[in-house]
Amino acid sequence: MSLLPWFVAAWLFAVGLYGIVTSRHCVHLIGCLTVCQSATYVLLLGLGFVRGAGPPVFYDHPPGMPAVDPVVQALVLTDIVVGAAVSALLLAIAIQVQRRRCTLDPQALRPLRPSKRTAE
Amino acid sequence: MSPDAILPVAVLLPLGVAALLLGLAHWLPTQLPKLVAIVTALAVCGLCILLIRQSLDGPVIHWFGGWTPDASHRPDVVLGIGFQADPASAALAAFCAFLFGAAFVFAWGYFDAEHAHFHVLMLLFLAAMVGFCLTRDLFNLFVWFELMSVAAFALTAYPLGRSALEGAFHFTVTHALASFLMLAGTGLLYAGTSTLDFAAMGLIVARLGSDPVLTGGFVLVASALLTKAAILPFHLWLADAHAVAPSPVSVIFSGAMVSLGLFGLAKLVAQVFPADPHVMGLVHGLLLWLGLGTALVGGLMAYAQRHLKRMLAFSTVAHLGIMLSALAAGTGTGTAGFLLYAIGHGLVKGALFMLTGILLAQRRSADEIVLYRQGPGLWAPGLAMIAGGLLLGGLPLGLMHGATHLMHDSAALPVTLVVTVATALTGAAVLRAASRIFLGWSGAPGPELLAPTEREHEKPDRPIWLMALPPLVLLTITLTPFEAVAPVLGAAAARLSQPDAMPLPLPPMRRECPVALLLTGLLFLFAHLRRRPLTSSARALVRVERWSFGALQALHSGLIGDYVTWMIVGLAVFAAARIG
Repeated sequence: MSLLPWFVAAWLFAVGLYGIVTSRHCVHLIGCLTVCQSATYVLLLGLGFVRGAGPPVFYDHPPGMPAVDPVVQALVLTDIVVGAAVSALLLAIAIQVQRRRCTLDPQALRPLRPSKRTAE
Repeated sequence: MSPDAILPVAVLLPLGVAALLLGLAHWLPTQLPKLVAIVTALAVCGLCILLIRQSLDGPVIHWFGGWTPDASHRPDVVLGIGFQADPASAALAAFCAFLFGAAFVFAWGYFDAEHAHFHVLMLLFLAAMVGFCLTRDLFNLFVWFELMSVAAFALTAYPLGRSALEGAFHFTVTHALASFLMLAGTGLLYAGTSTLDFAAMGLIVARLGSDPVLTGGFVLVASALLTKAAILPFHLWLADAHAVAPSPVSVIFSGAMVSLGLFGLAKLVAQVFPADPHVMGLVHGLLLWLGLGTALVGGLMAYAQRHLKRMLAFSTVAHLGIMLSALAAGTGTGTAGFLLYAIGHGLVKGALFMLTGILLAQRRSADEIVLYRQGPGLWAPGLAMIAGGLLLGGLPLGLMHGATHLMHDSAALPVTLVVTVATALTGAAVLRAASRIFLGWSGAPGPELLAPTEREHEKPDRPIWLMALPPLVLLTITLTPFEAVAPVLGAAAARLSQPDAMPLPLPPMRRECPVALLLTGLLFLFAHLRRRPLTSSARALVRVERWSFGALQALHSGLIGDYVTWMIVGLAVFAAARIG
């Protein structure tokens, strides 16, 4: 495996983290979280990649041909499903937060600490 | 039926019942799902106890779909996914299921209006925890970790109040990041060993020795598990999430979920990495220091809280630090101490969260200063809360005391000292609150006056005896003498790493001066004898105290950006420890 996927994964993860840390809007923050998640996909697919190999599907060509690693692809698929569930849950929470607080600024969301600016 | 057939049933039963309840809730009478949930949790507990008994004769292993290691006809290739019950895993699974049963009884009547959604989510949560305990496959471990997290996120946000939503948001974001780290780590470990099965990985790691890819994979997976287990500097989410979740859910969070994170780590270290010198160096060095730091910070923060659930949450952080220090010691006795402490602490902390839930329902607050002298009429919860505080603070009785004895047996003096101080701080905090609320004793409030708090309450008109019974039962079980569990514990600690090892001989209990309890008493007295500062020197002292606790509180800012920054710092610390 070349170095490129490692760099791309590290870069995506770092960019996503920067976005989360500095975000001023929850939906933007959830987007950044998805960017971080993409970093893991790139890393995993890169780990399973074999140069010159075909897809791990053997119905039209004989077993024994070189193929990329199907296990990491299964891992990525499983995680895409989980990631979708988590994003949906976070967006649902964001909608409820907007209804109750009339703001989606993560800097204003501090549990148990009544904010001074907005009235309860 | 062969014994290994029980393994999948222990996970499929709660999953299946949850699916059925979700589908049928509209037609069922309101009381039925609650009964079904209690019966299911207790049935899972029974199955897991059966597994403990069978695994004492040797590990019970189930390969899904019959994909045993021999099925691939190639040595070294393990294609199947397996469940394996050793006594420790089965015991923790049984404990989780029992705690769920208690939480279901406690929550009777709390969530009547919704179509059993609470019970469905809780049963999913239970299935995930049992799966997490029993699996022997790294990716499967990740899947249960995720399922556990998603159920927990939804349960935290369940009340849909302001703080509950914000706490759930922070919880979700930090754990989503943790799960990405875990997935990336799983990928690296798979790349290094070409397998995901714990035992097969252990063999290959032993052959490879040290490899930077393996160490990197371990660091990533460990950071994810440490985030779940709320270890410094990954611990910031815990106080928010535990303080805002409904109290039956907090019981599970503090009692079982977080210690399972550490158990996952213990299993990984014992089964996969015992032969990797770099990883073991990290475990014995950095993790020990992180554990001690967590214990101190958690203890100090718990002492400086006034919101009972937040106080108990920080006390959980402190006790997790103590458990990690026992785990990092790496001795068999230390592991035995860790396992027993996880169960003893879970029982006490579960009971204390239930008692707070009783106050939230009956007295409509969880703030020890607002609740001052509001206790009369609740004598049983009052006595139970004092007993819980004493047990946390090192009362020389029962399971927690036995576990502390085991931990101290193999620990160095500085470790014992930090553990004792942290224990005393958490015990004194609970005792101070209990005496304020139930006895009406109070000194002038100290640093706790400035801590975050909120007015809130939980559904009041529930049968008080059903709420009081579970914490009393949990506390009674905690008083089980150490000698009664020692034989099973010895086998459990030894077989966590080697499935066919001989039971470990555990050192017998010695009669010692209860230092932790004395220190708890001193801190408690200090809180009570405190008076308002009148002289200028006393005022200067209080200013210094306020400033230092204020700085500590400011680090726990409640902002998600800060939490994520601290997670990055944690990763950097791991990297630095590896290089340095």
